[in-house]
Amino acid sequence: MPELVVENIKKSFHGTAVLEDINFTVADGEFFTLLGPSGCGKSTTLSCVAGLETPDSGTIRVGDQVFFDGTPRNTVPPEGRNLGLVFQSYALWPHMTIADNLALPLKLRKVTKDEQRRLIDDALTKVDMAHLRDRYPHQLSGGQQQRVALARGIVYSPGVLLLDEPLSNLDAKMRDQARVWLKDLQREVGITTVYVTHDQVEAMSLSDRIAVFMHGRLQQVGTPTEIYETPATPEVAGFIGRCNLLEGRVGSTEGGTVQVKLGETGQHLRVVGACSAGSSATVGLRSERITLTDRADAPHDGAVNVLRARIEQCSYTGARFEYELSIGDLRVHAESPVRHTDGEINLIVRPDDCLLFPAQV
Amino acid sequence: MAIQTSPAPPAPSRTPRAGELGTPQYRRLFGAGREVTIHWLTFLVTAVLVLAPVVPILYQSVRNQPLYAAGGAFTLSNYAHLFTSAGFGSIVLDTLLFAVLTTVFALAIAVPMAILLERTRFPAARLFGQVLRWPIYISPLVLAFGWIVVYGPAGFLTSAVREGFGWVPWNLYSLPGMAFVEAVAQVPIAYLFCANALAASDTSLENAARSVGAGPLRVLRSVVVPMLRPPMLYAGLLIFGTAIETLSIPLILGEPAGITLFSNFLYEQGIDSINPDYGLLGAASTFMLLTTIALVVFQTRLLKHAQRFVSVRGKATRSDLLDIGAWKWLGFAFVGLYVVFGALLPMLALILRAFTSLLTPLVNPFDLLTLDNFRLIFDYAPYTESIVNSITVAFVGAVAVTLFGTVVVLVARRSDFRFARLLETTAQSPHAVPGLIVGIGLFWAFTWMPGGDAVRGTLFALIIAFGIRALPSAYGAISPATMQLGAELDNAARVAGADWWRTVSRIMLRLLVPAMLASFLLIWTQMIREYAPAMFLAGAESQVIGTTAIDLWTQGETGSVAALATLQIAVTAVVAGLAGLLLKGKKHA
Repeated sequence: MPELVVENIKKSFHGTAVLEDINFTVADGEFFTLLGPSGCGKSTTLSCVAGLETPDSGTIRVGDQVFFDGTPRNTVPPEGRNLGLVFQSYALWPHMTIADNLALPLKLRKVTKDEQRRLIDDALTKVDMAHLRDRYPHQLSGGQQQRVALARGIVYSPGVLLLDEPLSNLDAKMRDQARVWLKDLQREVGITTVYVTHDQVEAMSLSDRIAVFMHGRLQQVGTPTEIYETPATPEVAGFIGRCNLLEGRVGSTEGGTVQVKLGETGQHLRVVGACSAGSSATVGLRSERITLTDRADAPHDGAVNVLRARIEQCSYTGARFEYELSIGDLRVHAESPVRHTDGEINLIVRPDDCLLFPAQV
Repeated sequence: MAIQTSPAPPAPSRTPRAGELGTPQYRRLFGAGREVTIHWLTFLVTAVLVLAPVVPILYQSVRNQPLYAAGGAFTLSNYAHLFTSAGFGSIVLDTLLFAVLTTVFALAIAVPMAILLERTRFPAARLFGQVLRWPIYISPLVLAFGWIVVYGPAGFLTSAVREGFGWVPWNLYSLPGMAFVEAVAQVPIAYLFCANALAASDTSLENAARSVGAGPLRVLRSVVVPMLRPPMLYAGLLIFGTAIETLSIPLILGEPAGITLFSNFLYEQGIDSINPDYGLLGAASTFMLLTTIALVVFQTRLLKHAQRFVSVRGKATRSDLLDIGAWKWLGFAFVGLYVVFGALLPMLALILRAFTSLLTPLVNPFDLLTLDNFRLIFDYAPYTESIVNSITVAFVGAVAVTLFGTVVVLVARRSDFRFARLLETTAQSPHAVPGLIVGIGLFWAFTWMPGGDAVRGTLFALIIAFGIRALPSAYGAISPATMQLGAELDNAARVAGADWWRTVSRIMLRLLVPAMLASFLLIWTQMIREYAPAMFLAGAESQVIGTTAIDLWTQGETGSVAALATLQIAVTAVVAGLAGLLLKGKKHA
């Protein structure tokens, strides 16, 4: 199956832009995730791909079959797109048995009765639900309904599978299990998948690539590693994982690193990256990459940064301690397996663990 | 646009490649999906149905000749004639007074009952709540007959009281008397509005009042009653509008007393007069139509506003009912008096009257038992036919309106049709057109249009007329049910390959079956009582129960009217019972 291409999609509701210049390409067989906070436009984008909503302009196509090119004439209705879609609410038709739910798309495609039965068995077996084929949706638990919804989405071998927060109605434990088999299933079927979620753990663990949405704009597209290690903007860094964003001004630059003066604190951070001297910049510090130490003899050899901070609050979460620290007027969140006494403390930060974001002009 | 499909079916025993099964193919009409044709057709049929009675009336009101006659010209003299005709002022005033009195009486009875039954510890509250709804199934015409049998000048109770005290404190054949009977017919509407509002309201407001030290009576006065203002206002307007357009009570009670309201004025002008003044009738109909439309527009605006301060919460918690102590017995007496003397006694007397030759306190009615009243109906074919006609019209009409109404709702609520909102407004607008006006307008429409003569006076014409009147009820019964069905259910079907019509027929229509049954029952009960449009439209062979009853009444055949009413009540009760069983069965399935 060819790739899914979304180009320059724009959409606004009542004059408010909800999608601005969305561009991405999903390769054949790829697990592609649209990630972002609620209201960021990820679900709207999925609806546009499915044909349930119509963008104002742009192009959507699968291979050379154009679904949408900005003209009403060429807009393919949802039923002409041959996609599979699994809803957050599952949307199983309540008046049909599980088998009938799966049979409808096959009947519409004039598949013979025998073939229907075979494909339904096949799909239900993949999700471990074959034994419940004659039940009605309301007789199933949420997790089971979710599996059936997935089976219905793949039974007719659609070109692309679209998943709209399919796990978010499950409780936390079920969600972890469902995540594992969902990944297995996708790999087994090999279907091109577009997945929408606001949950970064789901996105990181499932996806081949992630598209991060914010305020109706696509912030970054990349593999989970790229998104985490080299976020394109401070917003992306802040959304994925816990990241402290510290405002500062660039002092000297030398040998691939820059010296950033942190606000009015009088302290400095050496950061790997490039930025012109004198400009303002944001430094991202991941909480789990900060080392805390009480020892006064912290290394001052210049290989690592050492910052003085005050412990404002410490909370015990079982696996570790979480700290709210202050460096002058800056607040920093850090984690440590060790309980430190209140008062002053040293923060050790490696220059290549810092994320440098030059201020946007 | 081309949709790729694979011509060859996939070889057995292997999973098809992604996209191999292709997409379903649908026939395209006029270069677009077939739903476009269906949407436009639904819209056009609805528009024609709604405009059919209105346009001829507007047109006739500004013509100086009957609208079918050649050579007529534009004129405004019909309006001048109407406004300057003798008695017009008093007709308008009497109509207003009647409507105001009806509204006041109905609210004065219904609001205390709603509060007592919904919010206080009341003996047998559930039973009373059910009994109070009964008059909905009985037409105001039948209720009026029942009241005359009991409280008329020669009525059972009137005679008894006159015998005992030598004086009777009431006179049914007066404006207040008429208003009271109409009010009794309208009490269920006001009761349901207020009771539903109370049932849906947040009782924590009451608990909050109690927690700051308010006693039960104080809570009622300061919290519950103010909360009822929006439903009272809305029900009041609804009753006011119904009172203005109602024909039965002005005709049965007003005519003999020489009281002319607007509706029986129209009736006299259009039917009773040998040589009707078409222009005057058109102008008068337009005047009435504008009044009811203005009322409905006002109501709609008010409701939009009212919903903002009706307190409704998602979680339904069974509230603590207020204990008003000994006051409850006063309340019990009030509700009991209304139920016994307002609704039950007139109905029982009417049924008893149907089986006796005379009903008077002077003779034991069981000595006067007879079936003559029924014999008169069944011996005269046109009377018998009118019963069959009513049942046929109600059954076919209820089926047709429910099916058409469902499609209208789905186009208006569940499609991307460009004029969905306009369709919704159009389908609900007959709500503002009085039955008499539908009758006059359609009569003229059939006279006017080529080939209409073949339709006018047939049962088909009645089904159209009653159907136009019932369309808003069907819409109102089905539309809320669609709102309970998540949009994902349609979307899932669309993405799975069903076009709009397939989605409607495979998913929506199946899921709406309970709502459609409810709509059928509602429209059936509405149509079996309906007669006002038939006053103008029905021919010799297409009379219905209501028109026959009025005919018999003017001949003085009170007993046969009672018999006819009894039959109508019996038919309604049987169908309501059957439908109730069917709906219950559905729920268990």
